[in-house]
Amino acid sequence: MTAVLEIQGLRKTYRARGGPRRALDGFEMYVEAGQVHGFLGPNGSGKTTTLRTLLGLIKPDSGEMRILGHELPRLLPEVVGKVGAIVESPQFFGHFTARDTLSLLADAGNLPQSRVDWALELVGLRERAKERVKTYSLGMKQRLAVASALLKQPKLLILDEPANGLDPGGIREMRDMMATLSAGGMTVVLSSHILGEIQLICDSVTIISLGRRVAAGPVAEVLQAHSSGQLRVALETPADLSAAAQVLVAGGFDLQAHEDYLIMSGVDKPALVARLLAERQLYVSELTPVTADLEDVFLELTGTAPVPGQVRSVDQSVRPELTPQNGVGA
Amino acid sequence: MSLVRAERRRFFKRRLTRWVFPIGVLLLVTIASILFAFHSKPTPEARARGEATAEAMYQDQVREYERYKRECGDKCNDGGWTGPQRSDFRAEHYMPPSFDFKAQYGELFLVWAAIMAMVAFLLGASFVGAEWASGSMMNLLTWRPKRMKVLGTKLTVMLLSVAGLSIVALGIWTGILWAAGELRGTTEGLTPGVWQSFGLSALRGLGMILLFAALGFGLASIGRHTGLALGAALAVVIVGQVGLTILFQMIRVPFWEQYLVPIHIFAWMNKEMKLVDYSSPEMVCDTAGNCNAPELLITWQDSGSIALGLVVVVLAVAFWQMRRRDIS
Ligand SMILES: Nc1ncnc2c1ncn2[C@@H]1O[C@H](COP(=O)(O)OP(=O)(O)O)[C@@H](O)[C@H]1O
Ligand SMILES: [Mg+2]
Repeated sequence: MTAVLEIQGLRKTYRARGGPRRALDGFEMYVEAGQVHGFLGPNGSGKTTTLRTLLGLIKPDSGEMRILGHELPRLLPEVVGKVGAIVESPQFFGHFTARDTLSLLADAGNLPQSRVDWALELVGLRERAKERVKTYSLGMKQRLAVASALLKQPKLLILDEPANGLDPGGIREMRDMMATLSAGGMTVVLSSHILGEIQLICDSVTIISLGRRVAAGPVAEVLQAHSSGQLRVALETPADLSAAAQVLVAGGFDLQAHEDYLIMSGVDKPALVARLLAERQLYVSELTPVTADLEDVFLELTGTAPVPGQVRSVDQSVRPELTPQNGVGA
Repeated sequence: MSLVRAERRRFFKRRLTRWVFPIGVLLLVTIASILFAFHSKPTPEARARGEATAEAMYQDQVREYERYKRECGDKCNDGGWTGPQRSDFRAEHYMPPSFDFKAQYGELFLVWAAIMAMVAFLLGASFVGAEWASGSMMNLLTWRPKRMKVLGTKLTVMLLSVAGLSIVALGIWTGILWAAGELRGTTEGLTPGVWQSFGLSALRGLGMILLFAALGFGLASIGRHTGLALGAALAVVIVGQVGLTILFQMIRVPFWEQYLVPIHIFAWMNKEMKLVDYSSPEMVCDTAGNCNAPELLITWQDSGSIALGLVVVVLAVAFWQMRRRDIS
C-alpha cells in the first residue's frame, strides 16, 4: 500500500511569551491510502501544530513531510487541490451565508459552483444555507467547515477535532459520513482527544504525546501490543478464593487478589488455569481476559489517566524516549 | 484568475462596502446639492435688481464721500483717494450667486478626493483586517498556499475596486455640479485646456484615494485586524497632528505646518502650498530691497513622494510579514 501522508522527524518550537515552547519533537506519522486514520493525543500534545505544518501555515524547524508523494512544503501548491482540510474549528466570516462562504471558496479554488450545493447537502446544511454563519450553532459551523473541506472532493481529508461541538446524533452522522467517504476511496485523517469515536471508525491510529509519537498502527495491533494480557478469575464458592490464590502462586503465576476475584497477568493458556484449579476441586465460574480498549491504551501511553485527589496540568503527559520500536507497524 | 473573481465578489458582498460607499456618495450628493441650491441663474429681473442695488449703493457712497469732504474741507487727509468708483459696484455683487462650472468645479476636487480617501482607507483596512481576524485568511491559505500571490491579489483587487467606486462617485459628483452649472450658472469657457487640467486633478485625486486605501490595507494586514489601521489613523490625528501642532508652536519650530497631513493634501491637490513663517525674527529681502517673512513652498511632487514612500514601506512590511509568519 502506498503512503498518502508521511511525516518524519518533525520538530517545531514556538517562540512565545514565557520562553520557547517545544510543540513537536521528532514526530512521525504514516497514513496509507484508503484508511480512516485516527490522530490521537491529549490537549496540547501537538495535533493541531502537526496539521498546520502539513498545510504550510507554520514553518517547521526541521523534518520531512510528504503528501501523495509530494515533498512539503515545497510542492504544496501542486497537491493542495487534493487535500481538504479543516484546522481547529475554522472560523468563517460571520456576515456571509453558508452558501456564499462556500461559493467564494469554490471560486478561489477554481471549482464548479455546482459543488456548493452538493457539499451543503452532504453535511445536512442545505435547508439553512441562506442564513448568515453568525447565526449558526457551534455544531452547524463545524458542519460547514467539513463541507468546505469536502468541496474539493479531496483524495486526502484532514479534519482537526471534527466532533467538537457536535451533538451525539451529529457525531454519529459524521462517523457514517467518514465511512462512506472512505469506502469511496478517500483517505481520512481525524484528530481527536475523544477516543470512543475514533475506535469505532478508524482502521489505524497514531497516538501523540508531548510532540512525539507513542504508538501507531492498525487499531487491533495497537490494542494487542498494549493490552495487559490479564485474566480475571472468579470461583463458584468465593470463600475458596485464597486457597485458589495459593495454588496459582505455587504454580508460578503472578496475581493480584481482589475481594471476590483474582487478576492474573502473563497467562498464555487460560485453560491451564482452569485445569490446575479443578485438580484441587476449585471450580471456576468466570475466566475472562481483561480487554483493553483504545482509551486505556491512550491513558496509559500518554500518562494522562486521572489520579484521585490530583489535578493534572495540561503539560503533564508522558514524554517517551525516542526509540525505533515506538509504535507498531510503521 | 479564479482568485481574482473570488476576491472581487467578496469585496462587493461585504457589508462595509455596501454601507460606507453609499454613505460617502450621500455626503457628496448632499454637498453638491447644497451648492446647487444656493446658486441661481442670473435672470433679467435679478440682473436688473442687482443693477439697481449697485447703483443705489454707489449713490449712497458718493453722498457719504461728499458729506465727508464738506466737513473736513481743506484739512482732509484722504491719501489721494478720489472717491467711490462706479466700476467697483457691480451688479453680480448684489445678485444671488451663480455657479461658474469652469471656475468652481476644479477647486472642488479636493472635496471628492478627501471623502473618498476616507472611504478607501476604511474599505482597504477592513477588506484584509476582517479576513485575518475572522480566520478566513487561514482558511483561504489552505486552498491557495502561495501567500504572496494571495495577499497581492487581495491588494490589487481592492485597489481596482476602490478606483472603480471612486470614479462612480466622481461621476455622480460631476453630474450634479454640471447640472448646477447648466441650471444655476454657466458652463461656458470650457476649453480643451481646462478639461485637461480637470483630468489631471482627477488623476491626482484618484492617486490620493488609492494611497489611502493601500495604507489602510497594509496597516490592517500587519496588525491582522482592521482595528489596528483605525487605531493608527486615530493616533496620527490626535498625537501626531494635534499634539505636534501644540508642541511645535511652543518650541517655535519653523514651518511646523509642513508636518501636518492636511497641508500635504492641499499641496497635492492644488499643486502647491506656500507656508509663511510670520513668527520668524528674520526677514528675507530680495535685491530690490523688498523684505518678506521667510516662505516654504511645498509642491505636489514633494507631498506625493513622501506619501508614496510611506505607503511603500508599510506595504513592504506587510508583505514581508506575510511571507514568513506562522499563521495560527
Ligand atoms: N501559536 C502558538 N504560540 C505558542 N505556542 C503554541 C502556539 N500554538 C500552539 N502552541 C503550543 O504548542 C503545544 C501544542 O499545541 P497544539 O498543537 O495546538 O495541541 P493540540 O492540537 O494537540 O491540542 C501546546 O503546548 C500549545 O500551547
Ligand atoms: Mg488542537
